[in-house]
Amino acid sequence: MRRFIGAVFSIFLPGYPRTLVYMLQATEYQVAPFLKWYWRTQNYQMVMKRRSLEMTGPARMLLAAVRVGITVQVITGLVLVYFGVYRGFAGGEAFGIAVILAYPVLWAHLLVVPLLLGRELISKPAERKLIAESKALFMNHPGIKIAVAGSYGKTTMKELLLTVLSHSLNVAATPANKNVSISHAYFARKLTGTEDVVILEYGEGAPGDIARFAVITQPTHAVITGLAPAHLDQYKTFDAAAQDIFSLAKFVPADKLYVNADSPHIESYAPPECVQFTTHGALGWRVSALKTDVHGTSFVLSRGKDKLQLHSALVGKHQAGFLAFAAALAHELGLSSAQIRSGVAATKPFEHRMQPYQMGGAWIIDDTYNGNLEGIRAGTQLLADLSAKRKIYVTPGLVDQGVESERVHTEMGGLIAAARPDLVVLMRNSATDAICAGLQAADYAGKLQIESVPLDFYTNLKHFVAAGDLVVMQNDWTDNYA
Amino acid sequence: METIAVIFGGRSAEHDVSVVTALASIIKPLELTKQYRVVPIYITKDGAWYSDDKLKDIKLFSTGAIDEFVRKASPVTMQFDGGLSLVRSGGLGGRKIVRIDLVFPAMHGTYGEDGALMGMLEMAGVPYVGCGPVAAALAMDKVLAKQMAVTYNIPVSDFVYFTKSELIDDLNLAVATCVKQLKYPLFVKPAHLGSSIGISRVTTDSELRNALEVAMQYDNKIIVEEAVQNLIEVTLPIMGNDNPQPALLEKPLTSAEDFFDFKTKYMQGGKKGKNGGKGAKGAQGYSQIPAELPKDLYAAAEKVGLDVYRALGATGTARIDMLIDSKTAKVYFNEVNPLPGGLYAHNWNKAGVSGVELVTRLVALAKERHASKQSLATSFATNYLQQF
Repeated sequence: MRRFIGAVFSIFLPGYPRTLVYMLQATEYQVAPFLKWYWRTQNYQMVMKRRSLEMTGPARMLLAAVRVGITVQVITGLVLVYFGVYRGFAGGEAFGIAVILAYPVLWAHLLVVPLLLGRELISKPAERKLIAESKALFMNHPGIKIAVAGSYGKTTMKELLLTVLSHSLNVAATPANKNVSISHAYFARKLTGTEDVVILEYGEGAPGDIARFAVITQPTHAVITGLAPAHLDQYKTFDAAAQDIFSLAKFVPADKLYVNADSPHIESYAPPECVQFTTHGALGWRVSALKTDVHGTSFVLSRGKDKLQLHSALVGKHQAGFLAFAAALAHELGLSSAQIRSGVAATKPFEHRMQPYQMGGAWIIDDTYNGNLEGIRAGTQLLADLSAKRKIYVTPGLVDQGVESERVHTEMGGLIAAARPDLVVLMRNSATDAICAGLQAADYAGKLQIESVPLDFYTNLKHFVAAGDLVVMQNDWTDNYA
Repeated sequence: METIAVIFGGRSAEHDVSVVTALASIIKPLELTKQYRVVPIYITKDGAWYSDDKLKDIKLFSTGAIDEFVRKASPVTMQFDGGLSLVRSGGLGGRKIVRIDLVFPAMHGTYGEDGALMGMLEMAGVPYVGCGPVAAALAMDKVLAKQMAVTYNIPVSDFVYFTKSELIDDLNLAVATCVKQLKYPLFVKPAHLGSSIGISRVTTDSELRNALEVAMQYDNKIIVEEAVQNLIEVTLPIMGNDNPQPALLEKPLTSAEDFFDFKTKYMQGGKKGKNGGKGAKGAQGYSQIPAELPKDLYAAAEKVGLDVYRALGATGTARIDMLIDSKTAKVYFNEVNPLPGGLYAHNWNKAGVSGVELVTRLVALAKERHASKQSLATSFATNYLQQF
């Protein structure tokens, strides 16, 4: 009862406008996810757990607008009540109180109006213009243009290619995870036209995205890193997402379409003439003597008499396919063996993506930016492959799995159980029951710990681990999912 | 959900160390288990007891705001009601009674680690973590602990001891006794204090005289021990009741002619020794974990530690300090700490026991010992009273 009263009154607290703007900012000013989150939230005091409102220009303006608006509405309500009580204005009291009580919900929705208007009237036309301009820039660029698409591993592949190829060539790549048309357009403006290779990450989010990116960026080569259930809230089915990703095949010659065949279901979508790579080899090169530990992955890449002993700080056997492909492509583009060796040696884990670090004597594999089932497969396989005194697996589950959520999380439970961790730590949320069901179905015999306050666990991790532990942490739900 | 009271602070020279032990190594991990409601009970330096969730915040102590808190707050009382309850009084809410299911003492030194608190908890019949009153009292009296060790044929360095009144009566006689029975260099120690407070290493009569005068400011009983030559100082945290398990032998990185005093342990991060700055920085400065010793010597030291733990009747946890003569490879028992600072969590962590697991295990051991005691008969029917 106390909790219920607290939740109801949370919308009338002084911090409420700030919370609204934070929610909008955390969803990157997207109206639909914001409203979805708004209506899902029960207590607005409990929203800002991980971060707080960053006072950017737009945030400051929106906050001021909401505060002024709320003040005007409350004053209006009070005036109506006054007229109802003292001036005989019929229904003034009731209407005034209704106006006052309505302000939290009303302003949560009014807040998105300027965004919608601004987006439709200002941003979208400007973006359309920029994107159209970028099409010409890409078309006239003389360099090799490699599109990198897939449900997972895009940023890793892009960074690998950038690191390895840069050891001899002039290479430019889209920054961080900027992977939609407008990001491509901004990126195009920075290109000098002298680049040997331009690498473009394609971030699919809804049907038709990949083809749209390809029409604008005109790739000469394409890499498909893998398929997994992702963005199913938009695609609805795995098949629709896969079809969209493989629409890229229409834009590049078959012998320049490189596909990660380690990824399940890939054979149903990959054109037969495409070039496939796996952890066993790439582009005619064979992988052998594959070893991995927390310090990295090493293997021998050989083709005929050519032999390359490679080592990367990337962790996990699954990385061998990507590394082998990057090395093989580098060879095709004219890099020497020494350049390839040093290029691969320069690759290192990216932040929060299979990133190992030590805590006391424990090894933590931070894969909290992972958000798909294939990543989970790789992470649990790594947990199984490495030896440790005690193995711990930590996850909240995956987001945006749509109607597939239960099936995906049950499968995930099975993958976790197969890695035989001593302890599984789950964060209590909508995915927990399905993961538990998967664990149970796979006869998981270790300990299970379910955390109701994930942040408590993550920030106090040092209290939970000891020397000799190996902890694999996969995915982390931000406030708008938690 | 069970309620665990963590008692810390107290009328001891190690009051501040106790605060850190409670807040960093006990309360936080206990709360992280989500299995217990943790009630902090803070005892001021003059012996008043307080309880409030604000006392879980180290900033209250580190900023000095604790003085203001104590000035405004009302002390609590403990109620013996077939168990133990905390009674918060005053305010609009009136009296509030909190039933305590288990006590986790985080006290160091006098009136806490020396068996006094454990005696009270035994009387209350509440389970508690750590050694019982007898083991704690023995451990905290360096003289009794050594005498106990001698009884069990556990090697100790030669020693003499004096009461404060003996020293006040005739300090010269005490110095002469030391010179006659022992060889310099000597260590002068208050018999009941931990955390190396009041300890001096002396090599001359005048230093000895000064050291005795200093030590008797802290204690009524002073022990003077012969220094072990070719010294390697090691310490071993142990956990368990009937089947004690050692953590890792730890070697403080101090030079042979130095010793691990309070400043080295807590204030300088272990920078005093010649190797300061290298090795693992634990709760108590720099140390080597596990101690790099020949295999046989490591095993011998571990055995001495476990022998002392068992001989003492220690339960829950304790830390055994030992001295090794590296030339003769002889291990001497030095002293016992029945509640190691910070629970020696840094050492347990290296041994593969996390902070959360450490407190969870200690709570389980406390319950196990309590259950075992409960199963013993404490009364039997007689008609003695009917005769009156």
